Amino acid sequence: MNEILKMKVKELKTKICSDEIKSEDVIKACFERIRKAEPKVKAFLKLNEDHSLKQAEEVDNKLKSGAKCGLLEGVPIGIKDNIMVKDESMTSASKYLENYVSPYNATVIEKLKDAGAIFVGRTNMDEFAMGGSTETSAYQKTANPWDIERIPGGSSGGSAAAVASGMVPFALGSDTGGSIRQPSGFCGIVGYKPSYGLISRYGACALASSFDQIGTFAKNVTDAALLTSVIAGKDYRDPVCEPNEWIDYTNDIDNPDTLKTLKIGVPKQLFDYKTDSEISKYFNDAVNKIKLEGAEVVEIDVPAYKYVPALYKVIMCAEVSANIATFDGIRYGYRSPNGISLNDEYAKSRAESLGYEVKKRILFGTYVLGAKNYHRCYHQAQKVRTLLINQIIDAYKKCDFIFSPTTLQMPVKFGEMLPEECDIFLIAANLAGLPGITVPCSFTSTGMPMGVHFMGSRFSDAKLFKVARSFEKISGFDTSKYPIV
Amino acid sequence: MLKEELETTAFLARIDIKEDEKEKYLADINRMFNYVEVLQEPNVTGLNPTTHVTALRNVWREDIVKPCSREVIDQMLNSAPLREGSFYKIKKVIG
Repeated sequence: MNEILKMKVKELKTKICSDEIKSEDVIKACFERIRKAEPKVKAFLKLNEDHSLKQAEEVDNKLKSGAKCGLLEGVPIGIKDNIMVKDESMTSASKYLENYVSPYNATVIEKLKDAGAIFVGRTNMDEFAMGGSTETSAYQKTANPWDIERIPGGSSGGSAAAVASGMVPFALGSDTGGSIRQPSGFCGIVGYKPSYGLISRYGACALASSFDQIGTFAKNVTDAALLTSVIAGKDYRDPVCEPNEWIDYTNDIDNPDTLKTLKIGVPKQLFDYKTDSEISKYFNDAVNKIKLEGAEVVEIDVPAYKYVPALYKVIMCAEVSANIATFDGIRYGYRSPNGISLNDEYAKSRAESLGYEVKKRILFGTYVLGAKNYHRCYHQAQKVRTLLINQIIDAYKKCDFIFSPTTLQMPVKFGEMLPEECDIFLIAANLAGLPGITVPCSFTSTGMPMGVHFMGSRFSDAKLFKVARSFEKISGFDTSKYPIV
Repeated sequence: MLKEELETTAFLARIDIKEDEKEKYLADINRMFNYVEVLQEPNVTGLNPTTHVTALRNVWREDIVKPCSREVIDQMLNSAPLREGSFYKIKKVIG
């Protein structure tokens, strides 16, 4: 693999800006790697080689004329196919949006363009981000680059697999119930979901609006922090986007004393679930390493973790049923030629273009919102959500960050199911609007990577990056190792 | 969920379901429904429901109309499967 692709983004950008490396050569190296790995991994739904090379040439010419260098000038990035790039297709991996062309840029895309990033392609995902394996994509299955018979995780499996196999140094995705962090854990990279409201979702395809956040994938924590610095910040077009001032998330990230004064909480409930024996072992090692760095490790008690999968199912499906109602075949997207009345046309357009998983979630969501079940199911779930949030707030009185394995099981083979509780420690962050980051921890005996997850309190994102970076330094995980594909 | 409830729900959600698909939907949705029964267990008396985690209230912006170019308007309208002038064309609504 070309050495250019192994560089940290900050270093890469500095070399591009000082004319040591041409952006064009970076993009060429990317596509060389893509040509080699992509036939097996299938991370991308669409690639823009000619356009990317043209953009790179423009960057190189611009820099020659002495123009100012952006934070990500000339650096390639992959974008999940549910984020809008003006005049480009966006399918959300659904047949419904097969011919859709975005009429405007998402806020994060505008910010990336301003920073000089180059969009090499659109990454595969579960249809409308509904799934945890990228298998519900209407177009293709993405493989885990460490073992191509296994799932990469999901829903942002394409972004995770593309970064893990070195096709792009980083990528964007979205996280509603672990959709960035679970595939990042499965693919051995860093995956970050911000505090709810930190990054604008304007121009991203909604799944469950009270959970959805856009976040970042990278090979290392510093790159994820850099990318976050570029895309975070207030935006009046997303009404829940907080009006926070701009922060450089890479600032002081290498502070050697970060862990010394911290209390790290490990949930007591972790031991209630069947966990892969190697994940348990390496997680325990990770806890010991953190202790050696001076952090105090305490046990925390959040009994409501038990309700996380059920809680998530009810609220997510309810919100899905409302959000996906927008896909009616009237203003854009697929319209069935078989409808005989307006209602029939709606029903057939949706039936013929949406996948089974999507339809099942819409139906379940509609059912729990119906008069018969509203109070007993939906309203009750919202109250249990409050219970969980209160217990987590209490837990943060005893600790600064909550620490767990990213997933309780390793990635399964295609067609196999993961247990419901596999990612409860990730989903809890979405339910409570908290930031979470997964960092690679170790390779298991089968050569697959496993990760660990830190969850912070609301808007502790800057400190969360520092904690993650501190762990990355002591984890012993070799980030320079890439899968052989 | 009973079969008739599935049919009503499918109509409300505007999803056409064929007769031979109903059994699978019913089995899967009932499995989900049984799974979430666990939410009846905790005591939530006195707790308010959470709809959003943000504490933001009424985010205001200046009430200024920004122009939208003809090109963008056309692009949006052209995304529709059927268009007539500046309108989306749909099937007759009132008999």
